[in-house]
Amino acid sequence: MIERASWLDAACHAILVVAALLTCLPLYYALVAGSLTTAEVQQVPLPFLPGGAFVENARAVWTRIGLGRLLLNSVIVALGIAVGKLAISLLSAFAITYFRFRFRGTVFWLIFLSLMLPVEVRIVPTFEAMTDVLMPLRLLVQLSGVDSLVQAMTGWRLEVSANWSLLNSYSGLIFPLMASATATFLFRQFFLTIPDELCDAARIDGASPMRFFWTILLPMSRPNLAALGIIFFLFGWNQYLWPLLFTTEPTMTTVVVGIKQLVPHGDSIPAWNLTMNAALLAMLPPIVVVLLLQRWFVKGLIESGK
Amino acid sequence: MSMAVSRRAILAGSAGALPLLRARPASAAPREIRFWHAMSGVNGERLEEMTRQFNAAQSDFAVTPIFKGTYDELINATVAAYRTRTQPQLVQIYERGFMTMLLSGAVVPVQELMAAQRHNINWADFIKPIAGYYTHKGELAAMPFNSSTPILFFNKAHFAKAGLEKPAETWQALEQQLRQVKAAGGPGSIMADDYHWSWFENYSAINDYQYATKNNGFGGLDTEFTYNRTPVVQQVGRMKRWMDDGLLQTAGQGVAAAAVFTSGRSATFIASTATHAAVMAAANLEWDAVPLPYEEGRTPRNSVIGGAVLWALRGHADADNAGTASFLAFVAKPETQVWWHKATGYVPATNAAYALAQSQGWYRERPTQEIAVKQLTRGEPTANSLGYRFGNFTQTMFAQREEAERAFGGQKPPQQAMDDAVSRGNEILRRFERLNAGRY
Amino acid sequence: MSETAIPALPPRRLSWPAFLRRKARPESLHGIKSSGFAGQVLPLVLLAPQLVILLMFFFIPAIRGLAQAFLLQDPFGQEVHFVGLENITALLRSAEYWESLRLSVNFTLATTALTFGVGLLLAFATDRVARGRTAYRAVLLLPYAIAPAIAGFVWAFLFNPIVGPAAALLHALGIAWDPNRSGDDALLLVILTASWKHLCYDYIFLVAALGSVPRSVIEAAAVDGARPLRRFFWIVLPMIAPTVFFLLVMNTVYGLFETFAIIDATTRGGPAAATNILVYKVYVDGFVNLDLGSSAAQSVLLMIFAISLTVIQFRLIERRISYDVSQ
Repeated sequence: MIERASWLDAACHAILVVAALLTCLPLYYALVAGSLTTAEVQQVPLPFLPGGAFVENARAVWTRIGLGRLLLNSVIVALGIAVGKLAISLLSAFAITYFRFRFRGTVFWLIFLSLMLPVEVRIVPTFEAMTDVLMPLRLLVQLSGVDSLVQAMTGWRLEVSANWSLLNSYSGLIFPLMASATATFLFRQFFLTIPDELCDAARIDGASPMRFFWTILLPMSRPNLAALGIIFFLFGWNQYLWPLLFTTEPTMTTVVVGIKQLVPHGDSIPAWNLTMNAALLAMLPPIVVVLLLQRWFVKGLIESGK
Repeated sequence: MSMAVSRRAILAGSAGALPLLRARPASAAPREIRFWHAMSGVNGERLEEMTRQFNAAQSDFAVTPIFKGTYDELINATVAAYRTRTQPQLVQIYERGFMTMLLSGAVVPVQELMAAQRHNINWADFIKPIAGYYTHKGELAAMPFNSSTPILFFNKAHFAKAGLEKPAETWQALEQQLRQVKAAGGPGSIMADDYHWSWFENYSAINDYQYATKNNGFGGLDTEFTYNRTPVVQQVGRMKRWMDDGLLQTAGQGVAAAAVFTSGRSATFIASTATHAAVMAAANLEWDAVPLPYEEGRTPRNSVIGGAVLWALRGHADADNAGTASFLAFVAKPETQVWWHKATGYVPATNAAYALAQSQGWYRERPTQEIAVKQLTRGEPTANSLGYRFGNFTQTMFAQREEAERAFGGQKPPQQAMDDAVSRGNEILRRFERLNAGRY
Repeated sequence: MSETAIPALPPRRLSWPAFLRRKARPESLHGIKSSGFAGQVLPLVLLAPQLVILLMFFFIPAIRGLAQAFLLQDPFGQEVHFVGLENITALLRSAEYWESLRLSVNFTLATTALTFGVGLLLAFATDRVARGRTAYRAVLLLPYAIAPAIAGFVWAFLFNPIVGPAAALLHALGIAWDPNRSGDDALLLVILTASWKHLCYDYIFLVAALGSVPRSVIEAAAVDGARPLRRFFWIVLPMIAPTVFFLLVMNTVYGLFETFAIIDATTRGGPAAATNILVYKVYVDGFVNLDLGSSAAQSVLLMIFAISLTVIQFRLIERRISYDVSQ
C-alpha cells in the first residue's frame, strides 16, 4: 500500500482548490453579468454579486436567437466532429504503429502537416471544396485522361456532373473539421507504450489485426478516448468561423454564432448581460459531456491481463 | 462500357446519400431576398424589425436577414460566396471596404439597379458627405444604410464641478478645460476604439487639412498620403501629452469605451453619434453633447461619415433584382430613414428624411441627435472634407494606428511616427494601384 | 509480465532524469511497434478515411491557398498577377516581420512552459488526492467549455486597467499595470490568457496519462522507500514521457497557430504591435486587410518555421523517450 503523506495531500488539495477558484473566476463574472439587467450591467465596476434577472435574460436570449434549434445543431456538429475524429484517428494510429508498410513515415508527416497552416489562408479554397465536393474527382478524371480513354474505348462519356454541395448541411459543418493530426499523434504515442506481449499473445492466438484492435487496443485506450473526446467535443462546440461561413441558413447555424450575434455592435446598447447569459446557457451541454466522460478515467487499465 | 456505368452508379449513389443530412428550406410563396448583415446586439434586432416591416408591407418578396459576424467576417463570407456562386442578393459592407467592392466586378451599382428596375429615387437629395463618400463617376454605387459621424459627449456633472458649462469649441480651449476638470478632482477623458476615425480623419476634414493627394484619393489610384506634413502630427503629440498628463485614456479590450463614459468615469467622450443608444440607456448620467472641436483660427467644415452601405451583388435573376431594388427603395424612403434614425441613432441619409424628423419634433425631444446632421451639412464640402477613397484602406489604417501608438508610448517622436505611417501607407496604396490599374 | 516489469529505483545521486538519459530501443525511434502485423493493404484501408478527408478539405485547399504567396490578386479573384518571390522578400525585408517572429518565439516558449508546468502540477495533485478527484477534474475543465470569444473578453475585462478587479488588485500592490500603453504588460496579459485557455488541454491529457501508470509500479517503489515527489519525477514522469512529448509538440503548435482569437479578444495585437505575433499578423493581413498574397507568404514562412521546429523536437527529444514501459 502506498503511504499517505498528509502534508502533501493537504498541499495538493490546497493547490487544486486555488486553481479551481482561479480558473472559474472568469466564469463567475460571466454569471454576474448574465444575471443583471441591461441598465445594471453598464455599471463600472461590475457588482460582485449576481443580480436577479438571470431567468428573464435567459428567456430573452432563448427567443431572440432561437437557442433551442442552435443548441441542437451544435450538439449534432460537436458530436459528429468528436466521434469522427476519434474514429478515423484511432484507425490511422493503429495503421502507423502496428504495420510496416511503404510510405509509413510519409503518411504520418502528411497528417501532421495539417496542423501547420493558419486557417485564414484556406478559407476561400475550403469553402470552394465544400460547395463542390466532387471537384477533386473531376480534376482527377480530367488530369488522368480516364474520361477520354473511356470515351475512345466505349463511346460513353464519363462525366462527373453531380452537383454535390455541403453548404447548409451537417456534413458540411462536420467533414472539413474531421481530420485530426492531434488524435493520430496521441494514439500513436499511447500505442507505442502498450506492451509488445499483448500483440504477440494475440497473434499466437490467431487473432486478426482488427480483432486485436477491437478487443485489446480499444478498451485500453479508454482514458485517452475520454480526454480526447472531451477536448474534441469542446473544439467542435466552440467552432465559430466555419459555421459562420459554411451556413447561409439561419436555422443551420450553431450556438456560438448565435452568441456572437448578441455581442453588442460597436454603436449599440452594450447589452452584455444577454451575451453572457447565452454564453452560460451554451456551456450546459459541454458540461454534461465532461461529466459523462468522467467515468472513463479509470486507473490502471494497462495492468489488465497481467 | 460496364466500367463507365458502374462508375456513374457510384457517383450517383454517393451524391444521393448525403442529402439525408441536409436541411432543405421550405419554399415559400414570396421570392426570398437574402440580406447578409453584420449588426449584432440591439441594432441587429432593429435591422430585423426593418425587414419585417418591409415583408409586411408587400407580398411579392420576403427579405431574410442573415447575421454574418463582424464587418470583417462578412466581407470574407461575401468573397467566398461570390467565388462559389452562392452569394446573397444584398450585403452590408463597411465604409473602408468601398474600393474593394467597387472594383470587385461583383456588384451592381445601386443607381444602375434602381434605374433598371424603374424605381424613382431623388439621388440629389442625399446628404452630401454621405452620398459623396459612396459616389463614383457621378453615380451612387451603394445604398447608404447605417451612417454616423463622431460628436463630443461630455459629463455635465464633472464640467459643473470645475465651474464649466460645456466644452469649448477649439482643441486649445478644450485642453485648458480638461485640465480644470482634472484639477477639480474629475476624471480624464476616454478615447474610442476607432480613434483614428475621429481624431485623425474627421480632424483633418473639419479643419480642412489635406490627408492625401488627388483629393484624398477621389481623383485617382495614384494618391499619396500627406498627413505627415499637416497638423495631424501635432494632434498625435497632443494625444500623447494628454495621455501622459492623465487627460486621456484608452479603454482597451474588456470594457467598451462607452461604458467608461456612461458610468461617469470620464469627462468627455468623442464617439459616433450612434453611441446615443448606449448613453441614453445609462442610469444616473448627466450628459450632453456638442460638435467636435477644431483648431484655433480655422473655420470648421463638415465632418466625414463612417458606417456601412448595402451592396447589390451580381449573378441573380431579374426577378430577384426586382426584389432587391424594391427593398432598397424601401430603405431610402424618408419614413424608413426616420424610423431607423430614431431606433438606432444613425443619421438620416436624405434631406427629406431630416426634414421629416424635424417636422415630427424629434429634435426638440432629442436635441443632441441633431448635432451630427448639422455637423455633416455644415457648409459645402471641400476637396479635403468630402471623404476618403483609398484602396486597402483598412490596411493603411492599421499601419497608421500602429505608428501612432508608438508615439503614444514614447517609442518614436510624433513626426517620425507619422512619417513612417505615411511611407508604409503609400506602399500599401501602390500595391492596390498596381492590381487595379485602369479600373477606377 | 512479472515483477521484472517494475523499473529499478535509480540511485539517489543522478544528474539526469531517466527519460533523458536512457536510450530508447530503435523500434520506437521510428514510431513503430517491434511486434506488429504484416500486410500492405490493410493499413492503407485503415488510413483511407483520414487521408481522403485531408486531401479534400486540407491539402487541395491549402495548396490553392498557398499558391497566393506567389501572386498579387484581388479578393474576388478577377485580377491575378504572378509576382514570384516578391511577397516573401517583402516580408524578409520588413523590420515589423522580424519583430513579430521574435515575439512569437517568446510568446510560444512562455505559454508552453507555463501551460505545461501548471498543468503538470495540477495533474499530479489530482492524481494524488484520494477524495474529490472527479469534482476537481470536472471543475478544472470548465474554462475549456466557454466560447473563446467570451473567455477572452472576460479575461480582458478582469485585467482592464480602468475597470478590471485584477488590475485594481495590481494597482493596490503598487504595480503600474497598463496593458493599453505598455507593450510588456500587454504581452504578459496575452501569455496569461493563452495559458489559462490551454491549461485544461495539458491537464486532461496528463491526468489520463497518470491514470495509465500501473499501480504496481508505484507500490513497488513505495515499498522501496521512495518519497512521493521523488517517485513522481524518477519513475512516473519517465513512464508518461510519450504524453509529455505529445504535449510539448502540441503546445508549440498551439502557441504558433491557434492563439489569434485570444489575441483578438485581449489586445488586438497592440499596443504598437507589441502582441502582434505571426499568426495574428496572418489573420489581420489575410482576413481583415484582405491582402491574400502577403498573408499566404507569411503562412508559407510560418509553416516552414513550425515544421523545422517540430522536426527538431522529434529528432532531439523523441529519440530519448522510451516507449517501453516494461523495460
